Amino acid sequence: MQANVLHEVSSNATPLPRSTSLGLVYGGLLITLVAAMVLSVTVGYRIYSLPQAFAALFAFDGSEAATVITSLRLPRAIIAPLVGAGLAIAGVQVQTLARNRIASPDTLGLNAGASLAVVVASAVFGVGSLIGLSLTAALGALVTSLVVFAIAAGAGGLSPIRIVLIGVTIAGLGQSIVQIILTNNEAQLQNLLFWLAGSFVDRPMTLALSGGPFILAGAALALLLARPLDALQADDETAKGLGVPLTLVRIGCFVSVSLLTGASVAMAGPVSFVGLVVPHAARRLVGLRHGRQIIAAALIGAIYAVLADVAARFVIFPVEAPVGAITAVLGGIVLVALLRRRAA
Amino acid sequence: MSGLTSTLTTARAPIALAVLGSIGLLLALSGVAFGSSWIPLDQVASVILGAGEKTQKLIVLQLRLPRVAIAALAGGGMAVAGFLLQKITRNALASPGVLGVIDGAALGVVVFLAVLSNESNTLVTSIGYQPLAAMAGAVLGIGLVFLLSGRQSASAVRLLLFGIAIAAVFKALVMVMMLIGPIYRTSQAARWIAGAVNEINWSEIQITLLMLLPLLALAVLAARKMPPADLDEVSARSIGLDLPIFRVLIFALAAGLTAVSVAFVGGVGFIGLMAPHLARLVVGRNIHAGLFASFLLGAIMLIGADLIVRVLFSPVEVPAGTVTAVIGAPYFLFLLMSRQRHDG
Repeated sequence: MQANVLHEVSSNATPLPRSTSLGLVYGGLLITLVAAMVLSVTVGYRIYSLPQAFAALFAFDGSEAATVITSLRLPRAIIAPLVGAGLAIAGVQVQTLARNRIASPDTLGLNAGASLAVVVASAVFGVGSLIGLSLTAALGALVTSLVVFAIAAGAGGLSPIRIVLIGVTIAGLGQSIVQIILTNNEAQLQNLLFWLAGSFVDRPMTLALSGGPFILAGAALALLLARPLDALQADDETAKGLGVPLTLVRIGCFVSVSLLTGASVAMAGPVSFVGLVVPHAARRLVGLRHGRQIIAAALIGAIYAVLADVAARFVIFPVEAPVGAITAVLGGIVLVALLRRRAA
Repeated sequence: MSGLTSTLTTARAPIALAVLGSIGLLLALSGVAFGSSWIPLDQVASVILGAGEKTQKLIVLQLRLPRVAIAALAGGGMAVAGFLLQKITRNALASPGVLGVIDGAALGVVVFLAVLSNESNTLVTSIGYQPLAAMAGAVLGIGLVFLLSGRQSASAVRLLLFGIAIAAVFKALVMVMMLIGPIYRTSQAARWIAGAVNEINWSEIQITLLMLLPLLALAVLAARKMPPADLDEVSARSIGLDLPIFRVLIFALAAGLTAVSVAFVGGVGFIGLMAPHLARLVVGRNIHAGLFASFLLGAIMLIGADLIVRVLFSPVEVPAGTVTAVIGAPYFLFLLMSRQRHDG
């Protein structure tokens, strides 16, 4: 019964690809990702050639080009896909949990919660270690997700629109508190303003090393929960009938989403709407099964973030735009399109 | 029954309005009295009436009275805008903040500051045009929300969702505009966006007053034509009220009121949501009483919020808008939870 429903819904949207074509899809995405990362390393304010990039990476000679490539370009070419993948996987999970196609870490206020936690931790408690900040951000996201779902449940059921309205309100609340803290720490304003807009600029490689494990752990947990999530997307009764431990799965997802969002926010700041846009693309490509959706979303999210990061270097050239502004504009447009189609 | 209630409300309304008016006056006087040096209330009154010594005159007339005056005007204007929006959409969740109006105004102001500043960071034109820029942005914001929502605009909740999407795009554009500007403009714009009533001078108040008064008069006139809240849309239409053109006019009026109100003080959130709702609790359903009560409550709220930031965070000037958001966001959540019929 459940499988039928799934099959029907997904075949309405797209045919379920067979495993060979699935392999092709993944392979194509992977190649695109690598190409995008190469692009990210080579183009920008200065454009370097491929041999130059290879030389810098594998035979570092201390030249200016090599220094720019290894210390500036490479970290962002690695952090961007981690963040993109993390937010995209989180988006897949919350869209199923909230049964809402416009749910995402942003619309649910999780990004804002994680940002608030980071600002409070660094400005008020002086937390400076990268691992500490990632943990704090994850905790902020976790608390926010629990609050959003608890309030929505208290408001009489988890209606999709209600969840989003609550999430947006909580995001506004978080931003105001951030504003209060920042006005009292004028010195940090300029710095944090850029971070709060979401950006991959000037991030040290160590950031990827401290945030990466969180992303991997969150992604692994998401993949483990893929089957129960399949059952969860119809309705609670069906899932229960199939013997899915609902509460346990939900808690697992919250933890996974919090790890992914928290680490992403700690690395790049709140990069908007990646988690909203990417799952839609993933579903179009591979259908509704969560195992496939999560892998595809991770790859597409990574590509999307890298390309957005490259675009950020050029839209207001010679100044860098925050990548979060680019994804916010694109995401806002996608959101309007989804609303117009009454997809949510 | 309803006849009895309405007699009761008409009897109650004048008293309630008088009480609100006196509270507002008292709060305004305390707003002037409180600051880095305390000036007793009776001296405040005498300075305003023309007596008093020179330093007190300076403090009262040039520093404190302007911020109280602009707070009263802006708070009141936004509250009336919220009142109109809630009446016309028949939904207590509608407010200028969630319909793209405030973010549109913010974009208008930031573009205005960016385009019309010269290299040395001074405006090449009069600051008096700032409200016009805000208004253009606000109309653009709410216009886009309506244009894009198309037929769905009949449902207030759908409108809110479109408003969220448009607001997100505008926020990102504002962020980009701020980042490409010099640091001075960035901090100015950051303060504006959070909503602050300090550093206001009399000429700005004069401009606000001149633009606000005709709009308020229009609002009073339009209120007479507003269909009663307990009339559903079909019957309202059938007796010639609630025509589409009237709806558009009211939305434009609300956008104009909001834009003028926020033009100098910035994006103070949630007053347009809370004040009309509280007004209904205080004076009942009478439409004119509700309108005046909304104005008074909005004024009281912003003067009060400004007092709170001055008491809590002195000497740092935290924007008053943060306080209204910290109080208003939980209020919005409470509204969401206490009413069940928002999922249109």
